[in-house]
Amino acid sequence: MEILKVENLSLKYGNQTILDHVSFSIKNGQIIGLLGPNGAGKSSIIKILAGLVFPKTGKVYLNGKLQKKFSDLRKYCGYLIDSPSSYPYLTAKQNLNLIKRINKSDINLDNLLVKVGLPEENKKKVKYFSTGMKQRLSIAQALLRSPEILILDEPFNGLDPNGFQDVLHLLKELNNNGITIIVSSHLLNELEQFADSFILIHNGKIALEICKETIKESKKRVAFTFEKNPSGLAVDYITNLDGIFDVETKAIIRLKPNEIAEVVNNLVNLKSTPVNVETLTILQEQYIEITA
Amino acid sequence: MLIVDLGFYSDGEMLFSYLLQPLNDNFYIEGNIVNGYLIAYLALNTLWVHIPVLIIIVTTHIFSGEFELGTIRVLLTQPILRANLLLAKIISMIIYIICFMIIVSFFSLVPSVLFFGTDDVIVFIDGIQFIQESTFLIRFFYAVVFAIISMIAFSSMAMFFALWFRNTLTAILLSIGLLILFTLIQTFVLGIFSSWQSFLFTYHIAKWQLFFIDEIPVKTILNSAFFLIAMSIFFIGLSFIKFNRMNISE
Repeated sequence: MEILKVENLSLKYGNQTILDHVSFSIKNGQIIGLLGPNGAGKSSIIKILAGLVFPKTGKVYLNGKLQKKFSDLRKYCGYLIDSPSSYPYLTAKQNLNLIKRINKSDINLDNLLVKVGLPEENKKKVKYFSTGMKQRLSIAQALLRSPEILILDEPFNGLDPNGFQDVLHLLKELNNNGITIIVSSHLLNELEQFADSFILIHNGKIALEICKETIKESKKRVAFTFEKNPSGLAVDYITNLDGIFDVETKAIIRLKPNEIAEVVNNLVNLKSTPVNVETLTILQEQYIEITA
Repeated sequence: MLIVDLGFYSDGEMLFSYLLQPLNDNFYIEGNIVNGYLIAYLALNTLWVHIPVLIIIVTTHIFSGEFELGTIRVLLTQPILRANLLLAKIISMIIYIICFMIIVSFFSLVPSVLFFGTDDVIVFIDGIQFIQESTFLIRFFYAVVFAIISMIAFSSMAMFFALWFRNTLTAILLSIGLLILFTLIQTFVLGIFSSWQSFLFTYHIAKWQLFFIDEIPVKTILNSAFFLIAMSIFFIGLSFIKFNRMNISE
């Protein structure tokens, strides 16, 4: 069932078109990745959904019901917009308490801090937090209303690999608990690890919509790099697989994931061992092609 | 204020005997000229620049500080009306101004009275004014109330700048710049701009002094109070319009 549907979203700043009639819908319980290079319009979509920016045109439906304004979504959504923001001279719990009072929420803050992995940071002021800790605190702020949808803009910015894994784990756990998540990021590889469906935004328009299943079922673009020109038999083998040579020492073949190891073995047997094998999913390939 | 009191304690008599020297030829002045009420009146002269600056340093930060910290995004993504958030901030600003003025008044008056005692006050506004000791406190009270209205008007303008520029320093510099510029125009080029001066907020802010004229010009003071209230409503109204339509895009 569709939890959120956006229709005909347009945004202009002066003469500059930021979003051009963008429409999409999101199913309940999904994790949606909003992809695109910097300046594509991802953050603008998120900010419109948060009621921070007023669009020129556009309608939004929540659980099939038309909302009067985009800001009406705020009752049902939790947000993390851009860099994590909290009052640096307050502790994590004081920051959360402030937002809790605005929301008249009865959520237990200690439990929430445990949930986001900040259980022992009660007395530490936020100005002493690492980026990862601030990010987790911002997610906690977004969870204060027990939202149906969590909308996150670039939640992985500034995180080290451990911080990234922590936040990723937390988002997966929240999704397992039934929260629909919309994540915008320009980090394609990171997003591909956990999103169910992807929307690629480019120049303010939706350039591609694709789901995880389609990506899995589609052949990958595999680039084999050889140290020297491959043998004649290897060239014939690659040609038979509908492969093409980018340069004489680099062949590109479209393969299913389970076929890659077999092809590498066959090339080794044909005395042409590839020194490097690079794979691109259909999403990665389309992303590069569209945004290049 | 304690430092001011200390200064008057050490050199106040000498300073005033110098200032009042021309009067001594014509008047016989009896009693305590350098008294606590006089010093409290002189302390109110910080209303020209010092108090406005100290007030807007905080009041502008109440608004633009949220933009600088990025916490405006957190606040505006809560299910509350923007107008309610701004109203809460304006109420905080007014409470701050009232508290600030009460504290300034207390420290202007109480230590001065304790150290120097009380007596009639001689001040120079449109000539020499002799203020009876018995009427000083009520005049002082009304002057402080008027000063609160003035500071709310000035802060409302600074608040609008803070929302417009989303930057505390710019709002402070612009507000103080206007305060200084208008004061200079009013002070030094009065001849050219004399017909304009009633449109300058600094002209009206200065009207707290009129409470220390023997016959208080109530009508003039009320006109200035209305001007300042209208100025507050104008800038608060503009701020509501600006804030309600503002895109928080950065």
